[in-house]
Amino acid sequence: MRAYELMKETFFRKMYIYIVHLSWFAIYGLFLVLFAREEDDFYRIFFIWGGFLLPLTLSAGIFGDDLASGRICVLATRPFWLGELYIYRLLGLSAQAAVHFILAGCLLLIVHHFISIGSTDNLGSWLLSSWLLFNTWAALSTSLSVVVKRAYNFVFLLAAFLFFGFLNSAMSWYNPNETMTDVIKAFVKYACPPFGLLTKLAQGEYSKYSLIVGQYSAIKAVACVTHCFVLTAFYGLVGVLILNRRQFTCSQE
Amino acid sequence: MICTDNKQVAVVECKGLTKVYKKLLAGQSKAVCALKNISLSVAEGQIVGLIGPNGAGKSTLLNLMAGLIFPTAGCVRVCGYPARSIEARKGLGYMPEHPAFLGRYSAWATLRYHGALLGLSRRAACVQIDKWNEQLQMDEYIDRPCGDFSQGMKQRLALAIALMSEPRFLLLDEPSNGLDPIGIIQLRDLLKKLRDAGTAIVISSHRLGELEKLTNDYIFLYRGEVVSFGEQIAAGQAGRLRVELVSNGNNIAQRLLSPSKLLSVSETELVIAVGDESEVPDVVSNLTKAGARITSVLLQREDIEDVFLRLYNERA
Repeated sequence: MRAYELMKETFFRKMYIYIVHLSWFAIYGLFLVLFAREEDDFYRIFFIWGGFLLPLTLSAGIFGDDLASGRICVLATRPFWLGELYIYRLLGLSAQAAVHFILAGCLLLIVHHFISIGSTDNLGSWLLSSWLLFNTWAALSTSLSVVVKRAYNFVFLLAAFLFFGFLNSAMSWYNPNETMTDVIKAFVKYACPPFGLLTKLAQGEYSKYSLIVGQYSAIKAVACVTHCFVLTAFYGLVGVLILNRRQFTCSQE
Repeated sequence: MICTDNKQVAVVECKGLTKVYKKLLAGQSKAVCALKNISLSVAEGQIVGLIGPNGAGKSTLLNLMAGLIFPTAGCVRVCGYPARSIEARKGLGYMPEHPAFLGRYSAWATLRYHGALLGLSRRAACVQIDKWNEQLQMDEYIDRPCGDFSQGMKQRLALAIALMSEPRFLLLDEPSNGLDPIGIIQLRDLLKKLRDAGTAIVISSHRLGELEKLTNDYIFLYRGEVVSFGEQIAAGQAGRLRVELVSNGNNIAQRLLSPSKLLSVSETELVIAVGDESEVPDVVSNLTKAGARITSVLLQREDIEDVFLRLYNERA
């Protein structure tokens, strides 16, 4: 019952969450109409919108609001391991995203069926990749929310994303052969939420390699999925540790 | 010590409790000592009022007892377990000064949510909700979203949440904030019932008159230190002696009395703090010997507000 209530809370905590889901569906439809001819472009935008912006929006202030209102003080005096609070909230976000992507997939299939817009060839793999990306960003954002008050986790992550994206591009452009460029690239590729790896997974690029199961290379695809889960777990672990060690004040802001 | 009787079981024990905050002041990290080496215990079936001026460390002490913050030195044990441990939290009910709830949840949904956090089954949670709904008379608005609640409604809901676990130790921060007179009376009766049932209650409040109706046990904090503790500052024990003179009050008072004892002075009237009535003959005799021509003497019992002022003036 505790798990259910904490997961349910992630959907009902704010009125805007309900609106976000509906507006995201509308935006997917708009993207489909605008980018239907270039299948890859459409799915890339869908991937960014659903896998990156959706988790940031849904997890905005997930702990920060409680810290700012002082509500966390009562939650922290309840007799259970505080890590559960984090884990069930993250699972709540993940479950919301799973339902969101299934509905989005159904919506795209219906649109495709009736008006023959776009392609559904790689829909399943794009949805899976988007959900995996969602989980990593949601864990990162939730962990940040344990530290910063209100919904600043959204702002900070967006700023960090733009900063690292810009740094990565700038370094690759000006100093493509520098060691520092390689270090930054490796950091962005493996330590940050894996846009590149998941895009390749969704595009079926791992089919080039051996041990092909269906369309995909089992080893590469499993490694990519595992990498995402490990990153999610790592970000989550950091959040749980901070939550268990941090002090709470009841002052309202 | 508040809990001095060996038969009484200490529900909360603080030993050598010190809390230092590091604050950034004018670009430099400075240590601010919020609590200094505090040791106290609260027994079951006891109500203790936590009083003191703003910034005295009351909230820090409450937060430490609730396990929301960690002490710099010393330890807090609740029901025999370290504060913040799950076992300690099982026996704890906490009501913050400004309770906050999810605005979209109704009072009923909020209580069910907290019931789930306590690990109650759906049925057990419903039993608790019905019980506290009835006791705290929340019937009228139990299905309304918390976002529309007045301060008084929020206080009642917060109290219901704190009591849902049937705690052995109840921490209340300004519990009568925003309550109407009926609500305050109901709260007082409820707290007395809980005390009689063996719950240890610590109340931080600036409403001294309200506290006085509940308890004789106080912890007076001033600048992070316990100035007075328990029965030492019980209302009614001490008092103020109003002495009317023909003239020359200022001169005599300054010669004879320490500033901390002198509550007010004029040419024709002195108000002097006394520990109890046994001090009165000595004071009057000393004044007479010093040449005071006394026209009347009146001993007024101190209420908790007077005690607060006296302790504050002594320190300040």
